[in-house]
Amino acid sequence: MRFKKTLLITIHFFLMILKISAQDTSDIMKELEKEIQQKKEFVTATFKTTRLINGHTVENVGKGVLDIKISHRFGQINEGSYELFGLDEATIRIGGDFGITNNLMVGIGRSTFQKTYDAFFKLKLLRQSSGNNSVPITLSYIPTIALKTLKFEDPSRKNYFSSRISYTHQLIIARKFSKNTSLQLMPTYIHKNLVLLAADPNNLFALGIGGRQKLTKRVSINVEYYYQLPKYKMPNTTNSLSIGFDIETGGHVFQLHFTNSKGMTEKNLITETAGDWAKGDILFGFNISRVFTIGNRSK
Amino acid sequence: MLKKNTTLFLILITLFVSNTFAQQNDYKVKSGTISFKSEALLELIKAQSKELKGIVLASKKQFAFIVSISSFKGFNSPLQQEHFNENYLESNKYSTASFEGKIIEDIDFSKDGVYSIRAKGNLTVHGVVQERIIKSDVIVKHNTISLKSNFTVLLADHNISIPKVVHEKLASEINVEIKADLIVK
Repeated sequence: MRFKKTLLITIHFFLMILKISAQDTSDIMKELEKEIQQKKEFVTATFKTTRLINGHTVENVGKGVLDIKISHRFGQINEGSYELFGLDEATIRIGGDFGITNNLMVGIGRSTFQKTYDAFFKLKLLRQSSGNNSVPITLSYIPTIALKTLKFEDPSRKNYFSSRISYTHQLIIARKFSKNTSLQLMPTYIHKNLVLLAADPNNLFALGIGGRQKLTKRVSINVEYYYQLPKYKMPNTTNSLSIGFDIETGGHVFQLHFTNSKGMTEKNLITETAGDWAKGDILFGFNISRVFTIGNRSK
Repeated sequence: MLKKNTTLFLILITLFVSNTFAQQNDYKVKSGTISFKSEALLELIKAQSKELKGIVLASKKQFAFIVSISSFKGFNSPLQQEHFNENYLESNKYSTASFEGKIIEDIDFSKDGVYSIRAKGNLTVHGVVQERIIKSDVIVKHNTISLKSNFTVLLADHNISIPKVVHEKLASEINVEIKADLIVK
């Protein structure tokens, strides 16, 4: 009996020690960590820059940031040594993107391809987040207007200014799966006021898919593909497929890539790509992006 | 039967005593700011977070402080903030910075006064743990603790490498300042 009492007291003693030591530092740290995890946190840097290769990513530039982009495509590699494997030829787009807010950016550009001007805005409708009430994806809407300023083919007939215009409406649904891996889907609708042949469709639909895989902290490999839906496809064109690398150095991002598209605005890129990868109609190209902060410092 | 009651009583007393003992002197950060400054040749970078969290168990002289890396704001540009998170602190992988350990001095936090204390513990930044002793100034008034502390963090100590091209824009030693008000939990 006496032994039993001693045992019980010993157990009490243990309980007391347990009770005191139960809340040691790692426990209070866990409590604090839990609080932090519950807080809603927006996912950032799904992609390095606002363009994947030719087309848009879900990314915007920040408020008050101007991003000057020079995009350059050489000619087709299979043109041979006479054209120095395409290096003699150039298609260029010069443009600028500006962030009005962190969720709204506007951009303009001019391409040598069909002497096209383009203007767009990109609005983030949803932002991927973690914590309480998390959202699994980022969703952006990008309407673009493109103006082709080549001289009319037949000046003798009555030509309308509106014939030069085409419209693009694009949604981008993106998810950053991990620190290194991001994917996006880009359903796109394009309307051309004027097409070459009566049989050509004015309304076109395409579904784009793209992604990036980081290789190091500052280098990633990107893939971009636009599939034109067979019923709404521009005849005699191919689907745009591009593979490239993002190389980031401070305020610059260099993008080097291989693509079968010459055009760099959605309308040209998605519905007017003529190159065929299988035949070697591959163009080497690069984009250079430099950002300037011209608004106030981020608050 | 009597023995059983005594046992029960003992258990209750034990729990009661240890409970009051442990909870009497727990403090929690009500508002906390942590800011850092990198003074390099070509660029001054400053950022701060108002989301510093922390707990001090005065009875056991223990403490823990933590902050979410992505809560730092005030950089020179949005891109700089992105680089801070993506390339330097890798907040996706190491989402927090923390400091936990014990207070060296015996301070009675129930008494008002101004104290200078040293906290010894593990500082975790970028997933790398460093044992540090950090000095703090503490003012206790009506059960509220106002804490202020300055210390430096060497980037190399925490495995944060600086590419050559930004050597003149980023200091290798970062000044950190903490200000926090703690109240009884």
